[in-house]
Amino acid sequence: MQIKQIKFYSKHNNLFICIPYLNTMKIFQLALLLLLSPVFAQKQLPNLSLPNLEGTALSLTQDFVEKDKVYVFSFWATWCTPCIQELDEMNELQDEWKKLVNLEIIAVSTDDSRTQKRVKPLVSGKDWSFRVLLDTNQDFKRAMTIVNIPYTIVVKNQVIVHIQNGYVPGNEKDLFDKIKSL
Amino acid sequence: MKKILFGVVLGLFQLTNAQENAPSPVRVYGGFESNGQWYTNDKGLRINSPEDPLRSNNYLFVNTGYKNWTAGVQVEAYEDQALLNYNPKYKNTNLATYFVQFKGKKVDVTGGYFYDQFGSGLLYRSWEDRALGINNALCGARIIYKPTDFISFKSIAGRQRTGFGLSKGFIAGGDLDFKLTDFFSFKTSDLSVGLTFVLRNEPIENIVDPVFSPLVHASGVRVNFSHNSFYSSAEFNLKSDDAVVQVNQLRPKFVKPGSALLVNLGYSKKGFGIDGSFRRMENMGFFSERLANGNIFNDRIVNFIPSLTKQHHSNLANIYPYQAQPNVFINFENGKGIGKAGEIGGQIDLFYNFKKGTALGGKYGTKLAVNFSNWNALSGNFYAPLFDYETDFFAFGKRYFSDINVDFIKKWSPTWQSELTWIHQYYDKNLIVNINSGTEIIQTQIVAAESTHRFGKDQSVRWVAEHMWANADKKNWASATLEYNLNSKWSLYTTDLYNYGNSDRLQRNHYYNAGAAFRHKTTRIAMSYGRQRGGLICVGGVCREVPESSGVSLSLNTSF
Repeated sequence: MQIKQIKFYSKHNNLFICIPYLNTMKIFQLALLLLLSPVFAQKQLPNLSLPNLEGTALSLTQDFVEKDKVYVFSFWATWCTPCIQELDEMNELQDEWKKLVNLEIIAVSTDDSRTQKRVKPLVSGKDWSFRVLLDTNQDFKRAMTIVNIPYTIVVKNQVIVHIQNGYVPGNEKDLFDKIKSL
Repeated sequence: MKKILFGVVLGLFQLTNAQENAPSPVRVYGGFESNGQWYTNDKGLRINSPEDPLRSNNYLFVNTGYKNWTAGVQVEAYEDQALLNYNPKYKNTNLATYFVQFKGKKVDVTGGYFYDQFGSGLLYRSWEDRALGINNALCGARIIYKPTDFISFKSIAGRQRTGFGLSKGFIAGGDLDFKLTDFFSFKTSDLSVGLTFVLRNEPIENIVDPVFSPLVHASGVRVNFSHNSFYSSAEFNLKSDDAVVQVNQLRPKFVKPGSALLVNLGYSKKGFGIDGSFRRMENMGFFSERLANGNIFNDRIVNFIPSLTKQHHSNLANIYPYQAQPNVFINFENGKGIGKAGEIGGQIDLFYNFKKGTALGGKYGTKLAVNFSNWNALSGNFYAPLFDYETDFFAFGKRYFSDINVDFIKKWSPTWQSELTWIHQYYDKNLIVNINSGTEIIQTQIVAAESTHRFGKDQSVRWVAEHMWANADKKNWASATLEYNLNSKWSLYTTDLYNYGNSDRLQRNHYYNAGAAFRHKTTRIAMSYGRQRGGLICVGGVCREVPESSGVSLSLNTSF
């Protein structure tokens, strides 16, 4: 890549340097990066703190670290029907699951300020007993490069051991089979 | 630059590979998304494929982290062109955003492009929404400082991304969040307050002796309070005088301030939740360049003004979606006209869980959701030839939109679940989209029924049937969807929307689609063939207009 033009905006009372134009990066370069990509799978949770429904900030790297406990982070939103279907199913099954494995399900709401106020009454109205994290600025979602929700991340001993992109009925069984095998 | 980049990538590759067994100190991660479409001619819809019928939007996001440092780039490719009705500024392949971030215990500093928001975003939000073509990341610097657990201070400065370039307007701001709960050590209550300040500077060009300033400043105050099952929040924002822009025309003598008030109250306990929101907004369109106000691509937008209505998942309930009305629009012709300066209204949500074993709950439980929203124009006096207005603070003008809906989810057995939805909408098309010919108020009734049946180890079938009765515009529609999930990896679906009630027989179109999706770990690939209904695509209450089209689409996303 070559820099075509560097703009210094200092004369317009901006002291920051921004480079808006780099010349065309060819498709094969993108492909090369993609081919390399499976080599580096993301293994750890990002260093972020997110508030729960009570407004208390929880650190992803410090508050979910119990040894050998399985943490299931399920990304959802109040407007996402399959997400709610998945969480409804897991809410029903979690007591049974917990008898067999030391695990916790965490519902990560990606609702922005349009629908964020709906999270608390929905969680209560559905009688869910998960801990809920509010990812209002979608920092967690972005750090995990999630395009679509539902999206589920399984973490054990601070290592991401499994990812499920999407949900169809029945996936919760596969997910639990996977968890049991860890 | 090319060599440096490849050197870095290769270096990281070696670093991560060299220590396969020990956890590497360097983390490399990212994702890739591609949405492609092959547009075809469609005799039935009487449309021809556009120039460059093969188009795709592609995004590659690569990050690397080491200790407290993170750096990342996003490369975007729009080849041969961006998908239909995306901002034409998204062109070819280019470096889109990049950042370097240091995150310490108390200080978090980012240089380059970043996303953030203050309060609910009514004064400032930078975000990315690829489906809508929105990416208004600020390029500059952000510092977050948390000296104690109960104080957080953010400051930002920079220019917004627009296409692959930067906006002419300069944005700076600060936000203070103060948790009084921790300060006073409350036990059962939560109380926090926030202060926001944002300014935008855009030089004034080609106007002699302007009566408005290049600098617009906006400030806001907010408070959150909760006690046991009760919670509430309120936010008030003011924006200083700026020239009004309507239909891409700046009115140099029409100078007005803006304001927004948002109040939310809620109560929730086990099995029950209720929430109500009220919002009044006047002249709150806020763009980094004045003339960008109201542009159809949501380009250079500084704040986030979502419509506070329910986002329906029914196909037919999204034909007449409400879009928030923050802007000023005055137009009087032939003695009839439109005078708008904002919106006032609210919504109420209710969620209830009928317990298992009760009459309505049955053996497996029943869930109920009710939502009501109503939005009106501001009441006031509008002076067309002078271009001026005055509004009343708490008075309702003409109604833009209302929506009342009830939704039941009933589980009949462990393998069978149904959902029944009823929706009534009122939509004043003329008032919402600013046309003052005819009187087209559309009232709709929508009924949607859906069922999911599971069988075998992990197979399921889902069907949805919908009908909409509408008294005007395109009138009645019917819709059906059938989805078959073969296993946890493969899904097939087909759907059709049929505008059978259109008064114009030639417009009684079917909008059919059939497709397949494959999922494995972090990857999802979907392919479909069919027709796209023209209209608004809305995500999070912000909409993008798309034209009717036909063709094959392929989308892929993965992360690593």
